[in-house]
Amino acid sequence: MARKYIKAGAALLALGLSATALAGCTGASDEETEGGDPTEITMLVLGDKPTNGRLEAMLDKLNERLVDQVNAKLDLFYVEWADWQTQYNLQLLSGDDNVDLITTATDWLFAWENAEKGAFLPLSEEMLQEHAPKTWAQVDGDGDWDLTKLDDGQIYFIPEDNFTQYTNHGFFYRGDWATEAGFENGDITKFEDFTKYFQWVKDNKPDAYPWDVAGDPSADLTGYLQGHTDGQTIQQVSAGNYYPFQTTAADPNTVTSWYMEGDELLAAAELAKQWNDIGVWREDALNYDGDTREELYAGLSGADQHHTQTFIGQIYDNLSKKQPGSDPKFFYWGQENGNVFKDIKTHGAMAVSAYSAHPEKALEVYDLLRNDEESYRLINYGIEGTDYIITDDGKLGFPEGYDSSTDSLGSNFWAGRMDELELDRVTDAPNKAEIYAGLDAVAEDYPYSTLLINKDAIDPTLAAMSGVFSQYIPQLAQGKFDDPAAAIAEMRQALKDAGYEDARASIQADLDAWSN
Amino acid sequence: MSLKEAAPQRRSSKEEEPQQRRISLWRRFTSSRMLLLMCLPAIAFFVIFNYAPMPGIWIAFTNFNYRDGIFGSPFVGFKNFEFLIKSGQLWLLTRNTVLYNLAFIVLGNILAITFAVMLNEIRLKYFKKITQSIMFLPYFISVVLVGVIAFNLLNYDNGALNGIIEGAGGEPIKVYSTPGAWPGIITLTHLWQSTGYGTIVYFAAIMGIDRVLFEAAAIDGATAWQRIRYVILPSLKPIFVILLLFALGGIMHGNFGLFWNLVGNNAALFQTTDIIETSVYRMVMSQNNFTTSTAVGLYQSIFGFAIVITANWIVRRMNPDYALF
Repeated sequence: MARKYIKAGAALLALGLSATALAGCTGASDEETEGGDPTEITMLVLGDKPTNGRLEAMLDKLNERLVDQVNAKLDLFYVEWADWQTQYNLQLLSGDDNVDLITTATDWLFAWENAEKGAFLPLSEEMLQEHAPKTWAQVDGDGDWDLTKLDDGQIYFIPEDNFTQYTNHGFFYRGDWATEAGFENGDITKFEDFTKYFQWVKDNKPDAYPWDVAGDPSADLTGYLQGHTDGQTIQQVSAGNYYPFQTTAADPNTVTSWYMEGDELLAAAELAKQWNDIGVWREDALNYDGDTREELYAGLSGADQHHTQTFIGQIYDNLSKKQPGSDPKFFYWGQENGNVFKDIKTHGAMAVSAYSAHPEKALEVYDLLRNDEESYRLINYGIEGTDYIITDDGKLGFPEGYDSSTDSLGSNFWAGRMDELELDRVTDAPNKAEIYAGLDAVAEDYPYSTLLINKDAIDPTLAAMSGVFSQYIPQLAQGKFDDPAAAIAEMRQALKDAGYEDARASIQADLDAWSN
Repeated sequence: MSLKEAAPQRRSSKEEEPQQRRISLWRRFTSSRMLLLMCLPAIAFFVIFNYAPMPGIWIAFTNFNYRDGIFGSPFVGFKNFEFLIKSGQLWLLTRNTVLYNLAFIVLGNILAITFAVMLNEIRLKYFKKITQSIMFLPYFISVVLVGVIAFNLLNYDNGALNGIIEGAGGEPIKVYSTPGAWPGIITLTHLWQSTGYGTIVYFAAIMGIDRVLFEAAAIDGATAWQRIRYVILPSLKPIFVILLLFALGGIMHGNFGLFWNLVGNNAALFQTTDIIETSVYRMVMSQNNFTTSTAVGLYQSIFGFAIVITANWIVRRMNPDYALF
């Protein structure tokens, strides 16, 4: 008897193994199913997959519409935030033919590299005109297809070019505490003035950290550098988590680095040391991985940092509700000297996978998500009445009892939002228009949107430089070096040894070729 | 007998031999088919996950792109290995990795053998079982949790350790800014996690020792210590050597999870805590560059391979019975 079971078990095991091995050999069918069953289109999105059921309910409803209009159904594939950079690239590397649409971006999702490496399907003009006509017309009208072409002149992705966003980072802080600290109306207008604010929080709010930080706070360095130089970062080149190359407004055709040149880095590091000595952050912030934004909402932190949208869409509403009277304020980097850039228009983009079995259908689905008001609202806001409501004055509001931390849709469609279909939200910061107007007045267009950098030539150097940066920058940003000047000199030498000059020269050559 | 005369004889024996061999091979196969079936998952595992992907190391010498695939992408020689040297970290990383592993191997084995011998001396069955289970438990605790526990114990602002020190009127200590403390902390944590597992292996080996030897020792009037010294320890030598050789093969592979969760991105500690894996993870995780990480993997494997071959050669010279091959 036992023998029989063992035999059966072994046979099943062998069958299972061979089935697993063979599974890799089966290819997806290329057949289009016009008129037949709806085509399944899968879109890769970034973020943690929601588990509250709202997403599935929305997709059911959206799919009814997609089936009606283009005989297709949409499913979302999530690359979750844990280790997302590796997971995202691995997903593309694996050549998974189960994904049709891929969320990408040139500044944070490796769009150029992945296009060069053949992960994306080149999109012909005819294909776009036929299967995504509205998208084609709008991007073409704005003259933005050039932002998505490689040297071969082919289009590799569709830019989210019609959605206003300023990704300028800055400090979120409490106006009520700043007022008590002696700032008129609670407005802090200089980076260095945060020392006074932080000191006041330290002295008067014993339960709170002046700025609770989890992990690498290098935003304070870049924030300082942006506000004290005319450096403009070349967004296409990163070394690990750092963006080492800049040009200056005075000399936009020369590649330089604010980490390598000038005294501002030292001034920023000295300020960070001063903050560290005050006790602005936890002593062991580099190893702390708590949710510091929740600490801010709980009144246990005097500041947080992120970009404009985060302040307008989340911080203002949450902080003012959870800490009544806290008067949330935003100080954006570069506010002092107007050194602010509009976001690169390919900060969000959508590519079609080179392995997609249904690229045309994928484009048809995307065209609807982007341009059809009902589909747009479903994918971005969810089901009216459950996930959102439209208020009498036409704003996007939320039903009674809605809690954004547990009820949010989480569809994370960041690759085709459109200004004309966007709704103002009741939770938006009331001074949204004022903040946008302020940014609009000074922000310049990012000048290097179409600059292609030859990464092959400099990849080993960038990897080596990222090793050096990850050694020095977190410690400089947290003021951990007793002698910041000596540490900076050491770091600069190490970067030179890693090949900084060669990489700079290589990017300079790309810039020269591009500007001529 | 001349060669010519001998020839037919040799041929005839040759004709018989394969027949016999075939039969005996088949018989051997059928008689141990259950054993072979039980090996199948392990064989499949190694074929699928270790041998089949092996040609993939070619990627370390290419400028990989999805379109041309692993073998079609342009060959770039040793360019992908450059960054380790350029970053100026190669020596530090190799030194840290090797030293940590040596500490883990030496101390781990000594502790595991000591505990296994002690367990063997315990006569109370329940106590023995409970001790064994308690020692084994840390092996199953996720390193993520270990990292969290360590942070809660050791952090400056509200860690338990500093709570006790301050309670006793002392000055709090900055453990997370003291590189010198971490080789000890990491080694201790590793031992805490892995000793139970090693103990079980050695304990099983002790259980396998022929009881006759113990009886003979008892008749000869051996004390407990003499029994350990002259019976148990020599019997453990083969398994010790095998485990040592296995461990040496992975000497360039650190316990990434443990290091990453204990130290994370704390650059102040890198001098004493950075191992190849953690450093490479930081350098290439956001570079979208698989070729460089494959290159490092290859460097580690070749280094490990050389060490195993050398160690095995030394073992064979000393005692051929103990060598792996």
